[in-house]
Amino acid sequence: MAGARRAHDTARGGLLAEARFLASLWRAGLQTAMAFRVAFVTQIVGMALNNAMYLAFWVVLFQRFPTIGTWGLRDVMLLFGVVAAAFGIAVVLFGNILVLSDVITGGALDAWLTLPRPVLPSVLASRMTVSGIGDVATGLVCFVLAGQRSPEAALRFVVAVVASATIFLAFMVIVQSLAFWIGSAVLLRQTAFNAVLTFATYPLTLFDGTAKFFLLTIVPAGVMGTVSTDFVRRFTWPGLGQLLVAAVVLCAIAAALFRAGLRRYASGSIVLAAD
Amino acid sequence: MTAATRKYGSIFTAQLANGLTYPLDLLGRALSIVVFLWVFLHLWRSVYATDGSQAIAGLTLADTLWYLMLAETIVLSKPRISADIARSVRDGSVAYQLARPYNFVLYHFSVGLADAIVRAAMTALVGGALVWALVGPPPPASGWPLAAIAVLLGWLLDFSMSALIGLSAFVTEDTSAFDWIYSKAVLVLGGVLLPLDFLPEGLGSVARALPFAYTVWAPARVFVSPDPARFLALAGAQLAWLAVLALLLAAAWRWAIRRVAINGG
Repeated sequence: MAGARRAHDTARGGLLAEARFLASLWRAGLQTAMAFRVAFVTQIVGMALNNAMYLAFWVVLFQRFPTIGTWGLRDVMLLFGVVAAAFGIAVVLFGNILVLSDVITGGALDAWLTLPRPVLPSVLASRMTVSGIGDVATGLVCFVLAGQRSPEAALRFVVAVVASATIFLAFMVIVQSLAFWIGSAVLLRQTAFNAVLTFATYPLTLFDGTAKFFLLTIVPAGVMGTVSTDFVRRFTWPGLGQLLVAAVVLCAIAAALFRAGLRRYASGSIVLAAD
Repeated sequence: MTAATRKYGSIFTAQLANGLTYPLDLLGRALSIVVFLWVFLHLWRSVYATDGSQAIAGLTLADTLWYLMLAETIVLSKPRISADIARSVRDGSVAYQLARPYNFVLYHFSVGLADAIVRAAMTALVGGALVWALVGPPPPASGWPLAAIAVLLGWLLDFSMSALIGLSAFVTEDTSAFDWIYSKAVLVLGGVLLPLDFLPEGLGSVARALPFAYTVWAPARVFVSPDPARFLALAGAQLAWLAVLALLLAAAWRWAIRRVAINGG
């Protein structure tokens, strides 16, 4: 009994220590980014404007054609809001997700292997993509503009965004972990990145049976976009279950694949010489 | 042939050969068009079904898909000249390039055009095969040369605007925010996501009065409706915008070069 309690306390202490470590990485990342004030503000405002331009496409399209299938402008606005906020949170907190395969093939993992911390979260959190703050801001604005203003809807939005961000991160880790075996995975990463974000920002109802199956499994863009958005619109236990199962299963696969790859990893033998 | 034509022609040819060295890499790049065209097929099939008409603004679903194939090809194939120029400015390599016997901007244009042509050939092949399989044969081949000229002029326009963004690195160092906004302006006002003919009248007129429209919409529109009068009107507008942007670029370059400080090393 006492042993089990000790193990539980150790695990809790480990998790707390890990959370503190991640928080310190994020604090350092933010301080680094804010050292260049003009670039910091330009990136955030630029990304928000960039998203606004893209949304203009949907506004124009729905002006010309009021509904597409069963979807209207507010539905697409909410969908875009969930995906933008999820992507933003993912790249702000875990910015190395955009270049993980380069870190692996470049032999740059050595720096993290020496730390007494789990490798994957430490690598991912060691870089902050500031423009993601503009994506999060866009997501919040879209959420309000889509007409979902109750506290319950706000809570569902937070749950959906966290689940969606986790799914995106796990999917990109899975794809880029293949770099341990195939070497350069730049093209694969770009294709997977384009596919998951492009498909996620379009309603799943546009696609037929086979395509839907593909988008709910192999490239989980349907879960990241439409399933999350449906959950924000209306709480259902199956909806919540789908999000949680997808997030947990993909995280487990991502962690297992990265760990398996790490066993094959040969050091980059990078030597830093100071004069 | 003048010395300048030979010089930039040689840079262009060398880059063309360089681009053809890795055909599998080219094919991998080209595959991303499949994702976009697949989404567009489903989106526009649903729009045409909801609208209930055979043609919207004179374009059938097949015309729209072929339009989008060329529009995506143009955008996916163009090199990121602004990023290349901005990087040269940031890392200081612009200092070495200025000492070489060529014009810095024209060098980037020659390299960019060669890259764009090689990538576009492969992307159009992949995208064209997909669209042909999905909606039937392409527009008449007699119009392809006109479309090719319009595509070349469109790239030159895009390079000019990109180079202006790249030169802004002399002031801002990081040009990525301008790049994003420009790329989205091309997506929406340039007609990558939908033909400008589908826009409401007022917005359509505004879009057609801006240079973005002549980078993508003009060549893609000539491709699906290749009548000579349309080509002459659109190519004329492309040349007029090109003249305006060339003057702006020359002024920006003269201003930028005065800001270069070389401290030895």
